[in-house]
Amino acid sequence: MDAAALGVYAAIFLALFFEVFLLISFFEKRPAQMTALRPKRYPATTIIVPCWNEGPTIGGTIESLLALDYPADKLSIMVVDDGSTDNTGAVAREYAQRYPARVEYHYKENGGKWTALNFGISRTQAELVGCLDADSFVDEHALVEIVKLMENDPTIMAVTPAMKVNKPKRLIEMMQAVEYTFGIFFKKMFDNLSAISVLPGPFSFYKREIFDIIGPFKHAHNTEDMEIAFRMHQHGLKIANAHTAYVYTNVPTTVRALVKQRTRWSQGFLQNSQDYSHMYLNRKFGNFGMLVLPVGLLGFAAALYTAGFLLYNLINLVILKVSGMLATGVPPQLPSPRIDWFYIDTSMMLILTLTVAVMTLVAVLLGQRIAKTQLGVTHFVSYFLLFGLIAPLWLARAAWGALLAQESAWR
Amino acid sequence: MAWQKYLLAFIITAAIFGTAFYLTNRLDAKRLADIRTTQEEISIDILSTETQFELLGNLDCAAISANPVLSDELNNLASRLSVAEQNLGADNPEVTRLKKQYSLLEIKDYLLMKQISEKCPKVKPVFILYFYSNDGTCEDCGRQGDVLTYLRATYPTLRVYSFDYNLELGALETLVSLNQINGYRLPAMVIGNRAPVYGFKNLNDMEKLVPELETLATSTQATTTDDR
Repeated sequence: MDAAALGVYAAIFLALFFEVFLLISFFEKRPAQMTALRPKRYPATTIIVPCWNEGPTIGGTIESLLALDYPADKLSIMVVDDGSTDNTGAVAREYAQRYPARVEYHYKENGGKWTALNFGISRTQAELVGCLDADSFVDEHALVEIVKLMENDPTIMAVTPAMKVNKPKRLIEMMQAVEYTFGIFFKKMFDNLSAISVLPGPFSFYKREIFDIIGPFKHAHNTEDMEIAFRMHQHGLKIANAHTAYVYTNVPTTVRALVKQRTRWSQGFLQNSQDYSHMYLNRKFGNFGMLVLPVGLLGFAAALYTAGFLLYNLINLVILKVSGMLATGVPPQLPSPRIDWFYIDTSMMLILTLTVAVMTLVAVLLGQRIAKTQLGVTHFVSYFLLFGLIAPLWLARAAWGALLAQESAWR
Repeated sequence: MAWQKYLLAFIITAAIFGTAFYLTNRLDAKRLADIRTTQEEISIDILSTETQFELLGNLDCAAISANPVLSDELNNLASRLSVAEQNLGADNPEVTRLKKQYSLLEIKDYLLMKQISEKCPKVKPVFILYFYSNDGTCEDCGRQGDVLTYLRATYPTLRVYSFDYNLELGALETLVSLNQINGYRLPAMVIGNRAPVYGFKNLNDMEKLVPELETLATSTQATTTDDR
């Protein structure tokens, strides 16, 4: 076995260890099903909708918020237009005029999503503050589920929802639908470990008081939702996951847009990790410092290494085959399929890779069960075919960007 | 933080690795057993033909010219040995032992076919003895193997006997010295009873070196075997 292959085995070991750890956590504490119970109290809540040129979707987003199963006098929707140049303002203003008691519209100079969120936070004294990206739509029970969770455990300071892909049609959206379902599983498991690492833009909720303790959102390398989670862990503030609070979000529909989005996320992770490096392997921060951060960083490196290893071998193989064909004069031939077990690849690396794939599949199926997501064969096929090809692109770009301390792009 | 959980996850992961290692080894051992069985069957077949030859002093030439003796079985064995060598490494003692047995079977088949061709005028097999090395000193051996594999797949009656020059086997060393093969100039080929040819020969060169190929029947159903 050569040294390069040993690195891949190390990457597989890490992936397996992480998946096994999450599965143990699942069997230790299985997520409860949604119940018809109502909260004892409905806290005053403001949902901030930061938006920049979201004309096509902002209307649907507000509609879904208006349809929330929550007392209207306890819920206010605050649209913060971060200097849109399209019809976002016109659409949002129309809702504010139609529902003056429920929808507020504010316009501000463009400054980035974090400034829009801070703008909203500074203008509300509601007990709960939520945010919802203007390309996302909520299930009518989502807010009640979040409030119930916070009511059951008063130490919870912030809550993340179960994010699903909104009506996936293209293969790349279906791929992300599986990925998000996997995300539902591991976010719930991170919750079991008290180690949630990001409070995503679509429908995360905060107790208003935490901003007085830890301060407002920061630019944080264009990943303010990740940084605030890091900061909450730093201050020992609890983040939980409401797996029964469903939110549907639009996802990138082209490889280019997806790579751009994920480069921002991944680069944000690397750069925030640098800013919060003192939390790494620090027992004071529990599973967040001891497991989630180190495994996240190692996983990043391992995935890049494995992709590089595979790419290097593939290029070598192609060069060898082509130069071999040119030198020998032997015409190209399709490999003849042999129906004989003898020729089936049973190498240790393949067996382990398949084990990782099977465990990923189990995790996705559990995620599906946790959040009642519907996925078909095409979703799974697109995930297993595409994800491994596309993910290395954003990992490499993010690593490069972080290395040069460049700022990642939003869109 | 539950350290037990970290430990348990580590133990389970290590156990998965252990199981994969065990499975791979078991399947490789099964492959070697499969090769041994095939070799035993071929050995019995060769012995049977030899015995028949000695008993009768002659053979059913018509049957032999229609069905080349053991060609398919030997090709199949070569292909399996190649897989085993790839999985377990060329320096695996068990693989080396099986390669020695295979080389012996090839030599026996070669000698038998020579005898048959003398007795049966209609049987005119075309032989290529191919000497290679996979110890890293012969850069062109892999490519030469590709050419011969292709030729053998295209002309099923072409008999290519490939030998690892570095196998320490008395019979092979005799074959090498009888054909005066220079081990420093590999790859080397002996075509028919002609003088050895050294160095890499591509498909065009081979067609010129083996004009008898034109008389051999071609096959569209290619069977891939490996000749290093």
